[in-house]
Parts: sequence; structure tokens; C-alpha cells
Amino acid sequence: MAQYTLQPDINFVRELQDAGGDNLKRCYQCATCAVACPLSPANAPYPRKEMVWASWGLKDKLMKDVDIWLCHNCGNCSDLCPRGARPADAMAAARNMVYKDLTEPSIIGKWMSGIAGLPYLFLIPAALWLVVWSLRAAAKGSYFPRAADGRIVFGEIFYGDYTIDPIFIITFFGACFILYRGVRKLWEMFKPEGNMLVIGQKKSWIRHLAGVLMDEIVTHRKFDDCEDGPTTGKAAGSRKLGHMLLVYSFVILAFVTAVVALGHWGGKIVPAIEVHTPMSLTFPVKILANIGALLMLCGLAALTARRLTQDRLNHVSNFQDWYLLGIIWLVACTGILSQCFRLADALKPAFVAYYFHLVFVWMLFAYLPWSKLGHFVYRTAALVYVRMYGRS
Amino acid sequence: MAEKIGVYFDVQNIGGGLDVEALAARTREKWGDFVPIVKVCSVLADAVDEINADISSQQLDGVLLCGVSPRAEIGVYRVPAQVEYVNLREQCVLSYKNPDGSQPDFSGGAPEPLAIMAADYVNMGVVKLQKSQPPDSATVSGVRRVLVIGGGISGLTAALEAAATGYEVVLVEKSEQLGGAAVNIPVSSPLVPNWTEKQSVNLNMKISAVVGNPDITVYLKSQMETLGGQPGEFKATIAAPQGPVSIDVGAVVLATGWKPLDNKYLAPMGLECFANVVTAAEFGKRLLAGNVSARRIAFVLDTTIAEDAARDAAEAAAQQAQDGKMAEEEKDAGKFVKEDLESIRHLAYSNAVNSVGMLRLADSVCEQTDDATQAFILYKNMTVPGILERFYKKMQDRLGVMMTKADVTAIREAGNHLVVECKNTLLGMDFDLEVDLVVLPTGMVPTTAKDAVVRFDYRQGPDFPDLQLFDGFTDSNYICFPYETRRTGVYAAGCVRQPMTMDACEEDACGAVLKAAQCIEAASRGVAVHPRSGDASYPVFNFVRCTQCKRCTEECPFGALDDDEKGTPKPNPARCRRCGTCFGACPERVISFADYNIDQIGSMIREVVVPKDFRREGPRVLVLACENDAYPALDMAGMRRRTWNPYVRIIPVRCLGSVNAIWVSDAMSKGFDGVMLLGCKYGDDYQCHFVKGSEICSRRKENIAETLNRLGVQPERVEQLEVGIDEYDKVPDLIDGFVSRIMDMGPNPFKGM
Repeated sequence: MAQYTLQPDINFVRELQDAGGDNLKRCYQCATCAVACPLSPANAPYPRKEMVWASWGLKDKLMKDVDIWLCHNCGNCSDLCPRGARPADAMAAARNMVYKDLTEPSIIGKWMSGIAGLPYLFLIPAALWLVVWSLRAAAKGSYFPRAADGRIVFGEIFYGDYTIDPIFIITFFGACFILYRGVRKLWEMFKPEGNMLVIGQKKSWIRHLAGVLMDEIVTHRKFDDCEDGPTTGKAAGSRKLGHMLLVYSFVILAFVTAVVALGHWGGKIVPAIEVHTPMSLTFPVKILANIGALLMLCGLAALTARRLTQDRLNHVSNFQDWYLLGIIWLVACTGILSQCFRLADALKPAFVAYYFHLVFVWMLFAYLPWSKLGHFVYRTAALVYVRMYGRS
Repeated sequence: MAEKIGVYFDVQNIGGGLDVEALAARTREKWGDFVPIVKVCSVLADAVDEINADISSQQLDGVLLCGVSPRAEIGVYRVPAQVEYVNLREQCVLSYKNPDGSQPDFSGGAPEPLAIMAADYVNMGVVKLQKSQPPDSATVSGVRRVLVIGGGISGLTAALEAAATGYEVVLVEKSEQLGGAAVNIPVSSPLVPNWTEKQSVNLNMKISAVVGNPDITVYLKSQMETLGGQPGEFKATIAAPQGPVSIDVGAVVLATGWKPLDNKYLAPMGLECFANVVTAAEFGKRLLAGNVSARRIAFVLDTTIAEDAARDAAEAAAQQAQDGKMAEEEKDAGKFVKEDLESIRHLAYSNAVNSVGMLRLADSVCEQTDDATQAFILYKNMTVPGILERFYKKMQDRLGVMMTKADVTAIREAGNHLVVECKNTLLGMDFDLEVDLVVLPTGMVPTTAKDAVVRFDYRQGPDFPDLQLFDGFTDSNYICFPYETRRTGVYAAGCVRQPMTMDACEEDACGAVLKAAQCIEAASRGVAVHPRSGDASYPVFNFVRCTQCKRCTEECPFGALDDDEKGTPKPNPARCRRCGTCFGACPERVISFADYNIDQIGSMIREVVVPKDFRREGPRVLVLACENDAYPALDMAGMRRRTWNPYVRIIPVRCLGSVNAIWVSDAMSKGFDGVMLLGCKYGDDYQCHFVKGSEICSRRKENIAETLNRLGVQPERVEQLEVGIDEYDKVPDLIDGFVSRIMDMGPNPFKGM
């Protein structure tokens, strides 16, 4: 009987090694990792099988594997691995490969996979916003104009109606579309070949999604389960707290942005709800925004400190890890600086900071499908998938 | 014959409430002039000077130390007289329990059975010394020359090591160049720490060191014609191109290595059917010549296909033989025909070497092609011996090396490539693997499986005796002693002994040379080599009574005895390991050692006081215990306060093979109710220090049973039981079980006659 013909790919192994799984060849399949993992199910546990697929360069198997998304990266497996193969990092590397290859245009994925692509990633929004800046400067007659009442108003240069909003709306919906396609593709890949029989009552994916959001994302429950493995004798670090702060800060800032956008565009129809920017510091929305910014800084500090103090032997942060932390740091810092310079009436620094803020925010969202931040969509999709098909 | 014996009691090591003074008084009274000195010492170890003084003042020729086991204080009592021990501590007091099985209370003095037992043992000790003589050594010249057979990596190393140790060396190599199998392995698995890197073998350096060494004579294109004589003065005849060369040598290192298993065994896996299926040895040669263009290579370590095919073929052949279709081959009775021991099993034995070898080859081919090659290692058992685990780890890091445990179920050709079918893999699925080349393991068949290599000029034949356990490997499998063969003075090293990696071959060669050196030195002093190292006694024949029955010459596990045309045995003391199997075999009892003989043990048996009243005073059971395994196990049991029936009397023997049927008759006529032969295990996992002792004993026991039956004594009164040296916890139960069976049988009908 003809069986599945294996297609090992050495280049894929090399890519995985470059993407953070540099020790994966050391694995000798003892399965300590699969036992150490608090989340791994008894049925076809991970990451033991992923390690052998990785070392054999079975791209197909690894890319289609839903289990790489179930891993919440506590690192227990790496701590306990007798060969220092760092399975946790290999799993992260496998996810990085998905970020890289899942969606088009793949050139961005390539740029996102190493420091060499960083200049391109930066130059695109930098040029974009510079064009906007110079066009408005030409119209206003100055690169650093003040508002009629002498205040610093970023809208003077980065005018909402015709520049910022359309660009970000296109970026946002573009990213959403790419992510949607990515999730569809991923979903198809997760499905095993042949027919799958699902026993029991089925729920729609929407209700499963609600379940994932309420059960897992709001509570961050998996983070607790994840840490709850065999004692490795090492400090766990404040992963859950840092991640939670960051997630909630994003939620708050997303809410604030929505309110402002609604106020701005809705105000054109219903003047009563019009919101003028810059908002006063005592305005509730502004207060909430600043709380969000502070939470973001706290979360970033916690997560960065954790990565810096990790045991270097068993845990190595890869480029994607640092890219994501770095870009959020830059977004947060340039945002806060913009506000501070504006309030301090430092005209030129304020505009420069705001310019960079726009560059980094654009980078964060435009490249989201290819960056580690994509996990918030892909992992959610995987969690919904496994709820639908009974693998926990 | 010791005629003046000093008896010393070691009070601190006796205990048990025994009245030592009374025991001493009885000994003095019983033996009178034979024992001019009986002393009770509170601490015997402090009295060594006193013993020495007694020996010189009283001209004592024997010293009997009553206290600890002879195994306990080795080396403490080195005095200029024969020394014998009475084991009153481990096997008397510490192991004592009351006849009803209750634990004794020593506070009111020794229980009566204990006192009787102690007195018996002391008397037996005195008799043993009386019947013992200090041995004179049978020294031979001890030629300081080592013959190394085989010029491969093991042989070359052995030659250099022996020369460096100060011996002359004669190296015999069959082919026209030195190097052996290593010629095709210029880079091997690690040879030195850190055991991680492939290493250059530097064979040429080794060869030139051998060739340039004035103490080493090399005979190329030569083989052994005969090896006769005995260790220390072997006569080797070498069939050299210039004609036979006769040389005296002291000892022999056998390093003739291996031959690859016949390709027919691997044909079921595609060898010789498909052009791109090769053995590891062939692949190594191609790699060396730069002739490997395949970029997908399967290294198949799972040889189940070949093993199944071989098993089916064997079954079919057996069936055919059963059907009577096979013509019985007439053997020429006089002529030696070497049985071909090559079999598929050699493939499995070679698994460890192949595991390491395939890792090395896979890594090398990836290295040569800048990691453009995919090397799949499909194994059933990835076995890397010992510290080579480090090498495995290192090889695993190579990008192109991919490993999985797999059942390889088929290898077939498909177009211009091969397909390897794998099942039950670590990848969690069954799969086909498309490859350009399949590399199969090499079965290492020891040269001794195919040929009588050394060609002994011995009574027992030119070949090593085959135990039918090792498929031709020369190892005699003394559990803990490598190098030993069943021909004293011939030490095996390298792959002729066991398939091994090159680092192990080098170490093995050093070990075998040390053994050879020991052997030459021992022979020149006339003492035994392992396992009775340093024993100066040797078998002495009283030819007047010899009936030329040849039992001794045939049963000697080491082929030590030759004979003349009439069958009169010709002893070769330096070949002898002093086990006593010959005198156990001798129906005429013409063989004896100076300090160990038939009469001596018989007298000890007769010295035990056997009461007439079986019910009231208990039975008496004799235990003849092998001193290598059973006796230490008994000592350990005593040390751990395991107890056994106080009616047994234990006599150590050198080997159960040395037990002569007359001892059983002696015991039965003395009135003993049972005789227990306590020896080591035999069969597949035999532990006998003399290879065959307990097995021979079990065969002789059948004859003994027959004799007993004729005399009207139940043959069940004699039992042979097996015990491992580590089974101290079981041995008391063995004894008690036997005693209770004897109790059920009732008294020996000869008792009191």
C-alpha cells in the first residue's frame, strides 16, 4: 500500500533554526517536554512530535499543526529538557514561520523575519508620513504651524479628515482583510485530511469565539494553567500580569480611538456628540486614554523585565519577540512624549514626536498579520477551532 | 601432611555464648600431640607476632585460625606455615537458629546444637590441615615473548603495548599489509576524550611504529600452523611465505578481528538486488573514494526484514530435515572439521558498532556536501556504547541527519530511486521515504566463527571449545572478566571477542596485553592465573592406578591435559586453572592437589559427629558449597543475620566440578541424611568461574543417583541447587527447604551401621 511520502526539507529546518529554534536538532525524543507541559493533552501530546517534525524539516506537518497555537509559551519544557533543545523556543519559531508565510504579500513576512528587513519596514511609513507632512506644510506655509489661537494642534499638519483617518482606515481594514484570509487559510490547514466526525451537540463558531474571549482572554486563565506545571525551581516572572495589562491597555486605547473617531465623524452629522482634539486633560475620554497609556507602560516594563531576566541557557528571545515589544514601547513612548511636548508648548519636538508616533502606530497595525502580534488573531482562531473539534 | 598444628581461637570474633575455653580444652584433649598449641586469644589480629613465635619455637607446620570466615581477613595472617580457617563467625554463630526455627538466646551460654557444630567445624579444620601439604610450584621457563595474531587496530595496539611493557613481540598477519579493517576507516568515531568528534585513526603512524620497533617481528601473509605446549613455553609454528617458522612464546593475544557477514543474509533487504543498496562497509569505501553522489540516503539499522527471512529459511530447512530429505553427511571421525558458525545473529550483535558507524558516516557525508545531503537513520535500537553517547549527541546536531525509530517493512525500487517503507515511527505516522541510496549495516562475524585460527595442538582439538552460546565469539564469558578464553594463556582482544568500536579495540588490546604479561609472570613462578591467581598447587597424577579412561582429559574445561596414544594423561600445569574438575571426574581417584584432595575432604566428612538418634538429636546434612559463589553468599547471609538449620555442615569446594562421587558415598556411609551440592548457575547465563563445573556436576549427579538407588538409599537425598553470589537472601531458604525434605524422608538407612 502506498503510504504518505515524506518530503523532508532541510532549508525549512535552517529557517526554523534562524527563527529561534537553533537547538531543535538536539532533541532525542525522550518526551520529557510533553510530560512537563501543563496544557498538553494526553492524546497526541505536544511538543515532542513537533520537535521531530521540525528536525526532519516537515514544513507541511508543522505549519498545519494546531498545537503550536495551543502552547502558551510558559517554557516549562525548555527548563526540563535534558538536552537543552529548547522546545518552547522551537514552538515559537514554528509560529514565526506561520507569521512569515501565511499571508500575502510575502515580502513583508520576509522583512519581518530578521533585523535586515527592519529598515524597509520603517522607511515605508516614514516616507508616507513625510509626504503628508510636506504637502500640508506647503499648504500651511510652515512645517511647524501653530493654530489660530496659538495652541499646538497636530491636526494642523496631520489633518484628520483627509490624511490620518483615510490612511488608517485603509490600513485597518486592509489588515483586517489580510487577517481574515489568513485565518481562513489557517483554518483549512488545521482540518485533517478526510472526513472528521464530530460527536455531540455542535455550537456555531460565534458562540465558541465568545467562549474563548470570555473564558480565556478576559480572564487569562490559560496563563495560570500554563505556569501550573512541574516545578522547575526557577522564578516564573510576571507573565500573566504584564500580558494582561498590555491587553487591557490596548482595549482601552481602542475604545478611546473609537470614541474620538465617532465624535469626529458623527459630530459632523449630530453636532451634540462632536469631539474636538486635542481634548482637555480633564475630559473623561482623555483621562481614560492616559490611564491606558500608563497601563501599557507598566505591562511593557513587566514583560521586558521578564525577558531580560530569563535563564539564557533555556530561553532565548527571538527577533519577533523583540520587534513586538520594541514597537509597542516606541508607540507608547512617542505617544506620551507628543502629549508632553504639546502641553509644554515645545513646538518642534512635539511635531517630531507625533510624526514618529504615527510611523510606529502604522507599523504596529499595518504589519500585524506578519508579526508576532498576529497571535492575538491566529491563536484565538486556533482556540476556537479546537473548541469546535474537541481538542483542548 | 601437617603434623604439628597450632590452633588459635579469636574470641572477639566468635561470640554466641560459646564456651571457647571448653572448646579449646576439648580440641587439646582430642588431638593431643598433633596440636601442641591451643590458644584462646581475645583479639587474634593482635597475636600475629605470637603465632610467628610459636611457629619457630614449636616448629609448627600448620596454623588453624578459628573465628572469621577465610574471606574476611585476607592478608592479615601471612605466616610461614600452612594456614587454615574455621568459619565460626559467619557460618556458625551468626547464622545459628534453634532446631525448631526460633531465634536463640545466647545469654545463658551457647545452645547445645551450636556447641556441637562449633566442635565439628574445629575438628574438620584440624583434619583438613593434617591432610594438606604446602604445594611446590610447577614452574616453567616463562618465555618473555608475546605472540599477537592479527595485525588490525587491536593487534597493532597490542604489539606496541606489549613491546612497551618489555616483552618481545611476534605479530602474525594473514594479509599482505598491516591495518586490517581499519584501512577503510581513516576517520573513526572518537578515540579519546571528549568523545564528541570524529577522529583520524592515524593508522600509518601505528603501522610504522610497529614496523620500526626492534622488539616486534612481523610475519605478513602468514597464519598459525599450530600452537602447542603451555603458557610460558608455548611452541608456535607459523606458516609464513618462506616456510614454517617455529617460535617459543610465553602467551598469545588473539586479535584476528572479523569478516563481513555474507551478503546473502541481507538480500531480503535489497542488497545485490538493487544497485543502490550497499552495506556500511561498502559505503565507507565509496565515501572515501569520493564516489557518493546520492543526496538522499537512508541508513537502515532495523534489519527485521532480513532476520525474518533468515528465520523462515531456517524453519524451512528444519522442516526439510525432519521430512528426512536431507542426506546424513558422513563425517570422517578422525579429521577435524570446523563448524561454520556464521549466522544472521551476527547482525544483531553488531548493532552497537553499526549505530555508531552509521552516525559517523551520515555526519561525514553531510559534511562533505556542505549540508546538502539528507541522511535518514532508521533504527530499531540506537545503541551507542558508554561514553560515545556524547558522540551521538554531537552527530545529532548535524542539519541533514534525521533519525527516527522505525519498523522498516520494505525496500523497493521505484523509477530511478528507492522507496523505504517505514511503520511505527516517532513521527506519529507510517510513511514512505524516497531515497537515492540505502545503506545497510555490516554484520561482524568473528574470524573464530569460520576458522580454527590458532590451531591448537591440544588433546581437545585445534579450535576453541564451543559453548554454543556465543556464535563463534571467543569470549568465554567469565561474567566480569573480558579477554579470558578457555585456552589458558590465549587472550582475545577486539572484534574477535565482541563487535566493538575502534576506541574499545584499543582499550581491549591494552587489557589483553596485561593479561598476557600476568600469564607469563605467573607461569614463570609456577602459579595459577585467573581465577585462582597465585595458587601454587597443581594436579598430581598417581599413574600407577590410572586406567586410561580419559575422563579427566575430556572433561577439563580448559583442555589442560593432553594424553599419549594409550590414553595416559599428560598434565600441563601452566594451562591448568586448578579447579579440580579432573579429580572430580576420576573414578580411580588418582589425581590430587597438595592442599586439596579426595582423601582430605573425605576425612573432613568422616570427622563430623553424626548422632544415632535422628528424631532427638537431629539429622546431619552435608553442604558442599562452591567457594566462588555459594560460599560468599553464605558468608553474606551470616553477616546479615540470616539463619539456617543448625544440623548442616558446610565444606567449601573449589568448584562443584571437583566434587567426586566418593564424597557422597563417604557421607552416606558416615550416616549423613542428605548431601546438598550448592553451586552456581549453569546454562545460558552460567556463572561458573570454571565455565562448566556446576553443569558437569549435575551430569555426574545422575550417576550418583543411580548408585544410591542400587544401595537402597533414596536418590533425593542428594540435591544440587543453584545460587548466585548475590542471593544471600535466598540461600538460607534453600538450605532449610532441603533439610525439611530430609526430615520428611526420615533417617538415612545406613545411619549407625
